[in-house]
Amino acid sequence: MAEPQAILEKVTEIMRDLFDEYDGPVTMETTANDVAQWDSLSHVRLMVMIEMELGVHFSTSEMQSFKNLGDLVNAAAKQI
Amino acid sequence: MRSTDFPWRPPLTPDWSDRLAEIEAVIADAGKPDYAAIKTLANQQLGMREQLRIERLAKKLQKPELQDAAFAPVTIGLLGSRTLSYLPGPLAASGLARGLIVSSVEAHYDSVASFAFSPANCFDRALDAVLVVLDESAFASKRAVLDQAAEIDALGDAENLVAALAAAAQEKTGCPAIIATLPGDVQVSSVELATPGTSARFRHRVNLMLAEGAMEGRWLLWDQAALASRAGLENWLDPVRYHAAKIPFSIDLCPLAADNIASILATMKGKSARGIILDLDNTLWGGVIGDDGLEGIRLGQNSPEGEAYVAFQNFIMSLRDRGVVLAVCSKNNDEIAREPFRSHSEMVIKEGHVAVFQANWSDKATNIRSIAETLSLGLESFVFVDDNPAERERVRQELPLVSTVEIGDDPSFYIERIAQSGLFDHLSLNKEDVSRAESYGGRAAAAEIRAKIGNYEDYLTSLEMRLSIDPFDAPGRSRITQLVNKSNQFNLTTKRYGEEDIRAMEDDPGLIGWQVRLEDKFAQHGMIGVVIARKGAKEWSIDTWLQSCRVLERGVEQCVMNRLFQTAAEAGVEKVRALYIPTDRNGMVSDFYTRLGFQIDKENADGSVEYCCDVTDYEPHRTFIDVSLAERTLVSGDA
Repeated sequence: MAEPQAILEKVTEIMRDLFDEYDGPVTMETTANDVAQWDSLSHVRLMVMIEMELGVHFSTSEMQSFKNLGDLVNAAAKQI
Repeated sequence: MRSTDFPWRPPLTPDWSDRLAEIEAVIADAGKPDYAAIKTLANQQLGMREQLRIERLAKKLQKPELQDAAFAPVTIGLLGSRTLSYLPGPLAASGLARGLIVSSVEAHYDSVASFAFSPANCFDRALDAVLVVLDESAFASKRAVLDQAAEIDALGDAENLVAALAAAAQEKTGCPAIIATLPGDVQVSSVELATPGTSARFRHRVNLMLAEGAMEGRWLLWDQAALASRAGLENWLDPVRYHAAKIPFSIDLCPLAADNIASILATMKGKSARGIILDLDNTLWGGVIGDDGLEGIRLGQNSPEGEAYVAFQNFIMSLRDRGVVLAVCSKNNDEIAREPFRSHSEMVIKEGHVAVFQANWSDKATNIRSIAETLSLGLESFVFVDDNPAERERVRQELPLVSTVEIGDDPSFYIERIAQSGLFDHLSLNKEDVSRAESYGGRAAAAEIRAKIGNYEDYLTSLEMRLSIDPFDAPGRSRITQLVNKSNQFNLTTKRYGEEDIRAMEDDPGLIGWQVRLEDKFAQHGMIGVVIARKGAKEWSIDTWLQSCRVLERGVEQCVMNRLFQTAAEAGVEKVRALYIPTDRNGMVSDFYTRLGFQIDKENADGSVEYCCDVTDYEPHRTFIDVSLAERTLVSGDA
């Protein structure tokens, strides 16, 4: 199992690329509500980019259960 | 977004990010960006991040004040039974790679029926095309298996819907509709196509109906089904995302789908390629005609490689049948280059099929310009095909408007790469198109070369060439022997020596034997030159000087000659003598020694020419190659 912190760093990089107008903090507690550009469209793109970059795959139910970035990072950590 | 999706594009250049930042800075300063540079950046194998950045750039370029004549603006309406919201970004990005500024207008979700059958207009402006992507459920409700009548009814409904959509596009937005075919889906049995009421059979029949309508000119076609099979159905549809976000195809394939659609838009804007410019050696046949001769080149004859070249030539002829003009651009002697076209029994392309035939030793960018001028077509109308990555790079640098396809180095993949590029995409063909290639005349005429292009030196520097000059040795022996006995064109004396002779030379103190190897940032070219010089106390004479024709005009000979004179000077030699013996093959080096600073000493009755150069008179040539000379050479040079 990979270190959640290391995964969060990678996710942060992807977030910075995708949400270029957002310069606030990216933490385990970050949610879509914190980032103006993070709408339902870019959400799908974010998921795909994270999956491709980290080499993981989230199931339909997993994705539905993510409440914040921390949930996502922990789910990814289990796969790496 | 996977680089493997765009194999015909060149790989990402290391300075990609910096180049993009430069363009962004120009735009931020309200300046006009360099559109050729933008096209170059967009037309590479982009990763996810580069894709994002190009999409953002493309969006900025949609502003009216940034429009440029080199890029055609296109506005496309998107109408789908699922969400097409992931297409506008990639469409704009792939548009840049094809010389288009693509803006998209999305219809509200689920407005297919209202657009088709009611006065409502979900697009608020004139468009160039409306792309309609429907899935099976939009065409018909469920049909019972084996209910043939229901299938026929559903098919009739589908045709009515598409006809109404095409009519609405014309009336409401003044443009044609582009209708997507239906990709396949999972199959329960192997007889789905033969079972009325199944999804597979219905999709198949809808696609045929769409094709017939397109043939009649009622709408245009986007063959989504063909692209989906190319990508693989299991990659095409992402069931998780389909259920989560109603995306008709996997989001990471959006750039590929968008590019496929952009090639249709490019065609509508008259941007598809009209001509193909072909290299010869290792592009149309295996081997080098000047060295291997008519019997030595690999073409047909049941060899796997030879058959791949025949298949490629057949493919080129099929392009010609669609109206694409053929031109040849090869570093070769004109007569020798035409030999296979005239006399090789397996050549599919004949001299008469080639409208312009440029075989000479000038650089290819110059020749391509001549070809374009001769045919009175713009550079953007041409696709350049060459197996040599350095030539491709040079043409990309000099002529960014020409589409240079990354065909790779295996002839078995040439066809796929060119076909997938979509550069020769076209709408329905007419008789005029088919006869167009003929109309350029199959004269195989050679165009006159116009002014030389500058910055060749920049190009040479950018190749990061490294040359090594080593004395003859055992590991090099067989390749030296091969070069000595095979090279015909760049060979000053055409003297042949067997392997035993070469072995003897390795230890001969009265002789210099050099093997020359070159590598650059694209490739290790291996041994590309052999020099043999006989040493006297005051005079040396060059017995053999030959080079491979694969790496011409790189400054290799200047480099090696500089080194030879340096070595001669260190040994206290006063003169270097040289000889040119003309053959019917080596005309390209008839002025070799005068070019390199020698004086003619004597012209003999048999046509051979003797040259001489005083060591103190020799002026080293400017070169662009990093040379390493093995220590042993210096030692033997002093011996």
